[in-house]
Amino acid sequence: MLAYIGRRALLAMFTVWAISVLSFAIIQLPPGDYVTSYIAQMATMGSVVTDEEAQNLRIQYGLGQPIYVQYLKWMRLIVQGNFGTSMEWRRPVTEVIGDRLWMTMVVSVAALFITWVLALPIGIYSAVRQYSVGDYVATLVGFIGLAVPNFLLALVLLYLGFTLFNANIGGLFSVEFQDAPWSLARTWDLLKHLPIPALILGLAGTAQQIRIMRANLLDELRKPYVVTARSKGLPESTVILKYPVRVALNPFASTIGYTLPYIVSGSIIVSIVLGLPTVGPLLLKALIAQDMFLAGTIVLMLGVMTVIGTLISDILLVWIDPRIRLEDT
Amino acid sequence: MSDHWRTPRTRTLRSRLTIALVAGTLSTVVAAGALAQMGKSGLIGKLEGPEVVTEPAKQPKTFNEAPQFATLVKAGKLPPVAERVGQDPLVIKPLHEIGKYGGTWRRGFTGPADFWNGYRCCSGPDHLLFWDYTGDKVTPNIAKGYEMQDGGKTLVLHLRRGMKWSDGKPFTADDFVFWFEDIYRNKDLVPTPSAAMAINGKQGVVEKVDTYTVKFKFPEPYYMFPDVLAGSTDVAGQAWRGAFGLGGYAPAHYLKQFHPKYAGQAEVDKKFKEAKFESWVRMFLYKNDWSLNPELPVLSPWKTVTPANTPTWTLERNPYSVFVDTAGNQLPYIDRVVLTLAENLEVINLRAIAGEYDFQARHLDIAKVPVFLENQQKGGYKLYLDPGDYGGDMIIKFNLSYEADPEIAKWMNTADFRRALSLGIDRDQINETFWLGTGTPSSVVPADTNKYNPGPQYRKLWATLDIKKANEMLDKVGLAKKDAEGYRLRTDGKGRLRIEIMTLGGQFVQFTQISEMIREHWKKIGIDLTVQEVERSLAIQRTAANEQQLAAWNNDGSEHLFTFPTHVFPFDTIAVVATSGPLYAKWFQSAGTQGKEPPARMKELMEKFRRAYGVPEKERIQLGKEVWKITAEEVYIIGVIGMGPASMGVRVVKTSMGNIPSRQYNSPDGKTPTISRPVTFFYKSR
Repeated sequence: MLAYIGRRALLAMFTVWAISVLSFAIIQLPPGDYVTSYIAQMATMGSVVTDEEAQNLRIQYGLGQPIYVQYLKWMRLIVQGNFGTSMEWRRPVTEVIGDRLWMTMVVSVAALFITWVLALPIGIYSAVRQYSVGDYVATLVGFIGLAVPNFLLALVLLYLGFTLFNANIGGLFSVEFQDAPWSLARTWDLLKHLPIPALILGLAGTAQQIRIMRANLLDELRKPYVVTARSKGLPESTVILKYPVRVALNPFASTIGYTLPYIVSGSIIVSIVLGLPTVGPLLLKALIAQDMFLAGTIVLMLGVMTVIGTLISDILLVWIDPRIRLEDT
Repeated sequence: MSDHWRTPRTRTLRSRLTIALVAGTLSTVVAAGALAQMGKSGLIGKLEGPEVVTEPAKQPKTFNEAPQFATLVKAGKLPPVAERVGQDPLVIKPLHEIGKYGGTWRRGFTGPADFWNGYRCCSGPDHLLFWDYTGDKVTPNIAKGYEMQDGGKTLVLHLRRGMKWSDGKPFTADDFVFWFEDIYRNKDLVPTPSAAMAINGKQGVVEKVDTYTVKFKFPEPYYMFPDVLAGSTDVAGQAWRGAFGLGGYAPAHYLKQFHPKYAGQAEVDKKFKEAKFESWVRMFLYKNDWSLNPELPVLSPWKTVTPANTPTWTLERNPYSVFVDTAGNQLPYIDRVVLTLAENLEVINLRAIAGEYDFQARHLDIAKVPVFLENQQKGGYKLYLDPGDYGGDMIIKFNLSYEADPEIAKWMNTADFRRALSLGIDRDQINETFWLGTGTPSSVVPADTNKYNPGPQYRKLWATLDIKKANEMLDKVGLAKKDAEGYRLRTDGKGRLRIEIMTLGGQFVQFTQISEMIREHWKKIGIDLTVQEVERSLAIQRTAANEQQLAAWNNDGSEHLFTFPTHVFPFDTIAVVATSGPLYAKWFQSAGTQGKEPPARMKELMEKFRRAYGVPEKERIQLGKEVWKITAEEVYIIGVIGMGPASMGVRVVKTSMGNIPSRQYNSPDGKTPTISRPVTFFYKSR
């Protein structure tokens, strides 16, 4: 087992390196650089940047150098634990992301919690009571949840929240709590803002997970071992929860690889619509502004999270599913 | 990198969101009817604003201050207010009444790149000279007065006696000399000298006369210089240009510790490494950044306390603010300004509708005017429209130095072709659809009240709808042959004459959608227009590479012809989002040594423009009128809708605020709303 994990970890490190090269290259792909996008931004704000200024900025940010030189410089910084300075925010990248990382995790974990709390029981229920009224209702709601783009749901909820409940528009805090130090009142303010984003983010996933759980469980329920367990006289709940559900959980475990990066990036579009101070909108803005170090660091972070997540799900799978055996143990 | 694989029609996320939101706001279409009934007059008021008082007799003799400062004075922590404002404070007569102290001004902004947002509301401005509320006349500001000497070669500035930086240190002529000698002339900080500090390419110098008198000396007459100090130029104050090592003055006593000449190279190197800057230059410029460095001594009435690169940009009153009202109350009235970060413009608009902002025009969308109107009572605000004085909320620029397709280049350089296209646009339809009737169908010339306006007959010159005449003109220039669908054919036998217009999405004006409408209009004159919405960096690259044919943009700022000429003729050599001809601009900027020589009429325009900087105002106004005449006659740029409120002219203001103008001058040069002197805004009730 240890050797297996070790081999996996080594492979993961190589993958991370490849991701760093790729993410840097991808950020370089669009035409222009940070300075062109800065000029464009200034132009759209009704102001002009002179040729001299533009040249000056390029020199200061080292944008004139060949790409591999820029990459090596970036790598050298990362090895020292310094991810560079964001060009747009003019603060260290770690600070800019750090500001938002915790908020992102709060929102994402809340959304995941909603997903799982809703999806698992409903999924089990609709598999066990297949073609019952409850199954049909869950299926219908599930399909609607899948089909409605969640940014649209976000817009509608925002509008309803405003017209019906006079709720605060967007964001995770009211203005007065934006910069306030943590206190009970601020936490309460956060909790008041949390349900809408968590619900919207959670719902789409819920529908999907219900369907997966239902389909998997249905496959398992018909298998002979379930019949055997039942014939041995075990209570129905034990029969279902102990064996088939455990097997049907497989896909949940294997999606952890994608869940982990999701927790730190959140859903970009929904976050933008709802004005959430999470990492997602930051990434989008950084990409548009071609803020290389910021965008590169976020992409790299997401890549690393995916790799770690995959590693975890591999290990989890071995643990949950006794049928999976390591080849050489 | 190659960009051939990119699809040019990259619809922005925002436009998709807008479509979605439109669905939600359909219910308010009814309100649009109400708007039509109210008409323009109900929403567009009379231009008004506060005034700077210069007569010594009207200066207040005693001074008053905000309660929190009074407490500090009593505790001995702050000198008395009379000492803080100095002997010659900057007296402003509020628009309606003397206000009262207190309150927080809530605004929305979109992040550190939205610097203009906080700068426009809260910098005062800290320009040496500024405009009166009409935006036409230069008035004293941070400088108490000025005079031109030496036949226009020298500008003498008189500073305010006893005026102080926000940390209580005196603001004197030494701050100008320090800026000029140690920042502006330092090749590391400012590698290339600014055009604003030069006349006919010859650089000027700054000299100290005495503690409160400064001279800007130039080798040739530079009568324009007061306007340059008042405009949005490189010498227009610390808040605007400090972060670039420009601005005209700088806090010497503070910045010397970061300058190698005074602190020593070793010391400065140590400092920037400790503070994790890339170089001492980056550190120095950061330290002189009004929006990012809370420690920086400033002259503005509010100063940054939490910087613009954090989720909330907060500014608080400057204890040494030199601004006072006519009753001697130190300004501003409002204690704090809080700009909260919003991830997207729809959120800003919704928050404004919900009454969560106190005074906001920036980022508000003209298409939502009906929704703003509907929610006025509920949100406790009032909606105002501030049309600009510039002739184009939307203009279409021809790239006159286009070369990639000789046939199209030839037509774009044919005056009658350009005029015919202009006559083919149904401006009334566009005005009703996109401006809700609040704009003016117009050529590119500025408002009739503008001093450079060439005369009322130029408003509609080649800017009416006349399909018959347009068709006749196109037939006559040699484009009479048409294909089966009625589109005109190229003369080189390569099929249909297709022209391409480049637009940007997510702007204050819906350029793409309007261009699609113009595409329909031009079908009637047999012109096949392709609308290409591009991402902004790509736009810059294409203009720089001389690949743009037509481009849609606005000409805001062009009402100040000489300080903001970018949208009047090919002026900028830098990459802009829409260009009139990069090769001609290069020719102009290099005095004919590079680029491509423009045609005679354009050369005449450029010559008049250049000459205007060195002549007294009366002559300059005449030259300005002639520049506009040529642009209107030649239609180098098609004016579509002008003098509308689409760019930052949709203003939502809480009814509890006082001294609010019913209409304000709306322009980048006016730093609107700063031209209405937000230091005099106040809360009547909370």
